[in-house]
Amino acid sequence: MSTPQARVVQTSIMTQLSSNKPATIVLAGSFVLAVAVFVTSGPAQIINTIVTGGMWALLAAGLALVLGVMNIPHFAHGESFMVGAYTAYLVFTPINDYLLDHPNPFLSAVAPFAGFAVATVVGLAMGVVIERLIFRPLRKRSREGWVMNTFLLTVGISFILTNGATLTVGPNYQGIPRYWDVRPLQFLGVRVTVDRIVAFVIAVATIAALWFFLRRTRTGRAIRAVSQNEVGAQMVGVNLDFIHTLTFSLATAMAALAGACLLFLFQAYPTVGLKPLYFAWYVIMLVGLGNVPGAIIGGFIVALLQTVTQQFIGIAWEDVVPTIIMILVLIVAPSGIFGSEVKGIQEQ
Amino acid sequence: MGTTPLLQVNHIDASYGFLQILWDVSIHIAAGEFVGLIGSNGAGKTTTLRTIAGLIKPSQGEVVFRDQPLGRVPAYQISRMGLSYVSEDLNLFTDMSVHENLLMGAYAVKDKAVQAQTLDSVYGLFPRLAERQNQLAGTMSGGERKMLAIARGLMSNPKLILVDEPSLGLAPNLVADVFESLRKLQQSGVTILLVEQRVEATLEITDRAYVLEQGKIALEGPSRELRNNEHVKTAYLGI
Repeated sequence: MSTPQARVVQTSIMTQLSSNKPATIVLAGSFVLAVAVFVTSGPAQIINTIVTGGMWALLAAGLALVLGVMNIPHFAHGESFMVGAYTAYLVFTPINDYLLDHPNPFLSAVAPFAGFAVATVVGLAMGVVIERLIFRPLRKRSREGWVMNTFLLTVGISFILTNGATLTVGPNYQGIPRYWDVRPLQFLGVRVTVDRIVAFVIAVATIAALWFFLRRTRTGRAIRAVSQNEVGAQMVGVNLDFIHTLTFSLATAMAALAGACLLFLFQAYPTVGLKPLYFAWYVIMLVGLGNVPGAIIGGFIVALLQTVTQQFIGIAWEDVVPTIIMILVLIVAPSGIFGSEVKGIQEQ
Repeated sequence: MGTTPLLQVNHIDASYGFLQILWDVSIHIAAGEFVGLIGSNGAGKTTTLRTIAGLIKPSQGEVVFRDQPLGRVPAYQISRMGLSYVSEDLNLFTDMSVHENLLMGAYAVKDKAVQAQTLDSVYGLFPRLAERQNQLAGTMSGGERKMLAIARGLMSNPKLILVDEPSLGLAPNLVADVFESLRKLQQSGVTILLVEQRVEATLEITDRAYVLEQGKIALEGPSRELRNNEHVKTAYLGI
């Protein structure tokens, strides 16, 4: 009775790999590149890669979630990053100014976390508002041309938010040199700033929490169910409106948190979200649409490609090389190296 | 009986866009009954079930379940009220394991103890699913998927389960298995509305049946009588 397929008991990334050539090649290539970077430039660049990779993973996971569950190609994701960066700046700077006159070691240690927390909450709220105000009414009206319509809507949202930011807080760079004014830590003989370490730890913790939420909780399972079969989810009693709002708001909050954590690196300005948006999309196209675990791995691969480009070719090529690689991958594996398809809405 | 039926479908019309599929369809099912809905391809059987499950709203008439009109009740609430729908295309979560699919079936059941108990009884009913708990639904055979879909529908402890064409695309011995499990289900007290093209087999296991023709109820009555009905004999049984 057992068909050959029936023996596939669990698909994990590892079992997928055994039968997936593009993924094997990309992953093996990445490993070779990582070793090459390590040998020629030492562990510093690897640590850099890991920190940026964590952030791309955080952004790309949100994109994948929104795409997989709601079928929305989200091109305003960078603006969530921007709002997070501004929020963290506006929360952190006054506290920091106050600390200049009234030194308090405890407060200076926790002040950045206040910025991160407020940015996350603002991201959650922003996600709820955008979903309820824009996507829900559209979903109730018509599902026709949904992907294209929502794509255009997100581009519109992006315009409004970047220009809104220019109008209210101005076009200037507003930023901070660092969150924690302490000496860098030693790691494998490399000095790493506390800001980077914290950013990495937050990215990993958030991704782990997301993973746990999607795999092990009732609501997380419902999110996955909606992404796999929307009608089926309704049939077992899942409230789609709730799942859609929750998904969108989680994705927005993750991007806002990334913006807040990387404020020291990117600063805050109206179009700060563009570059993170592009990199998150590189990741999504590389690994396959709507594939959350793939997005996490892809985040690190794209960060590594950036580092390699900076090291061996030149910093100006940073955007070019990942794009070329992405085009090559798409020619060979059009649905991404982990080859998942978005199956949510189109069956209606 | 005296009490009102568990499900009343009162004079519904239903359409897809401009195309009207159902015309003045009325169905009533009492608690504990095993009712069949038979008819040829395109007669509107699936549309009837989709309307009852709330996935399509009727343009005329109303569906009343457990004394509550479902006109304004969203589909997900209907399933929480105790109405399970096992659709023709199954709508399984293909990238989830059998076990996770069943847990999703119990999504609306908050009580963990009740959930565990139902899971046990469902695995008892479908031992094959118990053997394959960790297998992904998408990698199962056709018959196993049907069983999984029915099992998932049972996980919410429904009062009424609508089953759409469970025999479709199955080998004859598997059809017998599926029908056998439906019979067992009814004996355990679940009310069933079965939609089928296999008229003879359906009339054998159901108590009552409706015959749907071109979107209208053409005949209804106890299944035993329908089996001897001249029209049913010539049109469906080929006698």
